[in-house]
Amino acid sequence: MLETIHFLNTALPLFYLATFIVYFLDFKKQKKTLHNSKRIFLFLSLLFHLFYLLSRTFEFSHVPITNKFEIFTILAFSIACSYFLLELFSDIRGTGVFILGFSVLFQIASSLFIEDLIEVREVLRSPLLGIHVFSALLGFAGLTMAAVYGVLFQLLYKRIKLNTFGIFFEKLPSLETLEKLNFYSVIIGFILLGIAIGIGVIWLPVAFPDYSYLDPKLVSTLMVWIVFGIGIFMKIVIGWYGKKVINFFLVGYTIALLSMFLSNVLAKSFHSFY
Amino acid sequence: MNLIGISINHRTAPIELREAVHLSTDEITELTIILKEEIFTDGFILSTCNRTEIFGYPKKNFLNASEIIDQLLKFKPVKNIANSNFNKYFNCSAVKHLFMVASGIDSLIIGDSQILGQTKEAFQLSEDLSFTGTILKRLADTTIKVGRRAIKETNVSEGAVSVSYAAVQVVEKIFADLSTKSALVIGAGETGELAATHLFDKGVSRLAISNRTLSKANALASKLKADVVSFERLAENLHQFDIIFSATSADGFVIQQDVVKNAMRKRRGSPIVLMDIAVPRDIDPASRELENVFYNDIDSLNIIVSQNLKKREEEIPLVQNIIMDEMINFFSWFNTLDVVPAIKIVREFFEEMGSDELSKIKNKISEDDYLKVEDMTRRLIGRLLHNPIVKLRELAETGTNLQDAASHSLMIKTLFNLNGADKTKLNENSNED
Repeated sequence: MLETIHFLNTALPLFYLATFIVYFLDFKKQKKTLHNSKRIFLFLSLLFHLFYLLSRTFEFSHVPITNKFEIFTILAFSIACSYFLLELFSDIRGTGVFILGFSVLFQIASSLFIEDLIEVREVLRSPLLGIHVFSALLGFAGLTMAAVYGVLFQLLYKRIKLNTFGIFFEKLPSLETLEKLNFYSVIIGFILLGIAIGIGVIWLPVAFPDYSYLDPKLVSTLMVWIVFGIGIFMKIVIGWYGKKVINFFLVGYTIALLSMFLSNVLAKSFHSFY
Repeated sequence: MNLIGISINHRTAPIELREAVHLSTDEITELTIILKEEIFTDGFILSTCNRTEIFGYPKKNFLNASEIIDQLLKFKPVKNIANSNFNKYFNCSAVKHLFMVASGIDSLIIGDSQILGQTKEAFQLSEDLSFTGTILKRLADTTIKVGRRAIKETNVSEGAVSVSYAAVQVVEKIFADLSTKSALVIGAGETGELAATHLFDKGVSRLAISNRTLSKANALASKLKADVVSFERLAENLHQFDIIFSATSADGFVIQQDVVKNAMRKRRGSPIVLMDIAVPRDIDPASRELENVFYNDIDSLNIIVSQNLKKREEEIPLVQNIIMDEMINFFSWFNTLDVVPAIKIVREFFEEMGSDELSKIKNKISEDDYLKVEDMTRRLIGRLLHNPIVKLRELAETGTNLQDAASHSLMIKTLFNLNGADKTKLNENSNED
């Protein structure tokens, strides 16, 4: 089993890289043959990745969330998986190259530095923590995808306004579609982040006797969640759309990145495991 | 193969001459009858606004292409037309030309997909008039196949190549689903009508026409099941539409920036697309500075058109590969026709010999034994002829060994003393296959 894990650890960045290249070629050339086969590449990469994650969980008797590089591989999986589902349900296939690049980077970083950890803190073996971390990471993957679609929207918007009809004009879906994809991703991110916060709040007193609801990571995540909640409210109830709502979510994502950075790097709390 | 043909098109003649020789369906029918009587055994006529093509198999061995031109001009006299206004094709070049026409790379606008449908119709009409033989039918099928492959396997027909269609392409980059959008076309002239037709074809939820002359607006609106918006009350109705095309011949701006600004206020900032396809321009270009207003004029749309045309040109080598592929396939098939009569005669000779010998023993042996001998004879003939026939077909199919195929056919016929076989019978056999 260990050999398989090591093999997959080396092979996964290559799988993702191959998938990324196929998506890139399809974006650039739009060959009809690549248009369908690229999804198969992504599906196989995800299948191998899932097998890898399950293998690690059983082999080392804990969900792979105990250090940064285990988190990175889950982040790579979450982003690719979220994109795959979005592509499958929306059948909009032209934006994968902008999303899957993140999976490639996270998986490379993970594969280079990940270790075979058997001894971990007891608290990290809790399945509830596994769900909490998984949903938080999937939530952030959703928000990352939303940010990518937001940036693509801005790019296309500017190009149409300035009448510069290059590759982005030609290959990207319409502004309305990008706005929809941005919104769906935000909704997915918002729900999953909400689940992560909910589980965290319930489980916190059980797992940590010295817990505090003023923990920087908890507060910052809650803040991000509220910001996106306001954005969703404004879009659905007040009727914001187009550039205004896209900009709002991009600001939200910037706050999310900043708060993650500040709470992870600057503030130390019980919520820091690595 | 002695396929021969002529073509008058945008490369060889100005529009006045092309228009003058253009043939309607009735005229094609009449001319076909004449050609059938005078010069061709079978053939076809393709006539569109940009080209007229006449191809066929001559009745006599040496037909000059000028005779086809003479027949055409005798049927439809045209002043100031010269022999040099026609391209002439024979054999391989004729097949290649037809493939190029059907694939759209010989069209005025490269990749024009309409020509494939027109070619199909031309072949169909020829067939309806009993003007097609085996070879021409095969040629028609292959020509259509080339056209289809060019569309399916390359991007030669991709992208908008007219200003009004390019405008629709831009609209589709802004809105995902046009069936939920409303559109207004200002101007009911030729350009306006084309734009309105494109929008109608795209299935916009509501289409409206506005024109200074109300009767023209009404006429176009009834054609496209559209509403009519009063030209004088444009400003107050503008906010109702997501897409606005303007193509009037007005001297000044029909829509000023402040009108757009007001409309945007009423729309609460909802995106609006302004396509100014008029010269001089109808919509104040300063409108593009407003948030969520997407403004394009004819210059910016022409950028898209020229980009798309360039891309289509880049696809020509790929189409030429398809043409080469299909030419090889077609001529491989065609070459086998030369050996088919020889194969038939040899097979008939052997079968005749077999039945002759069988008839000699029929009354001398039991019925069961006779059936066994008959079966054995049939199998024996099959085995004896299998290799020579396969080899002969192979020689013909490769195309480069046509002489070999002919000399082997002759050799077989000489060996079995079949040279006396009636030549007309050979030709009949060839036509049957």
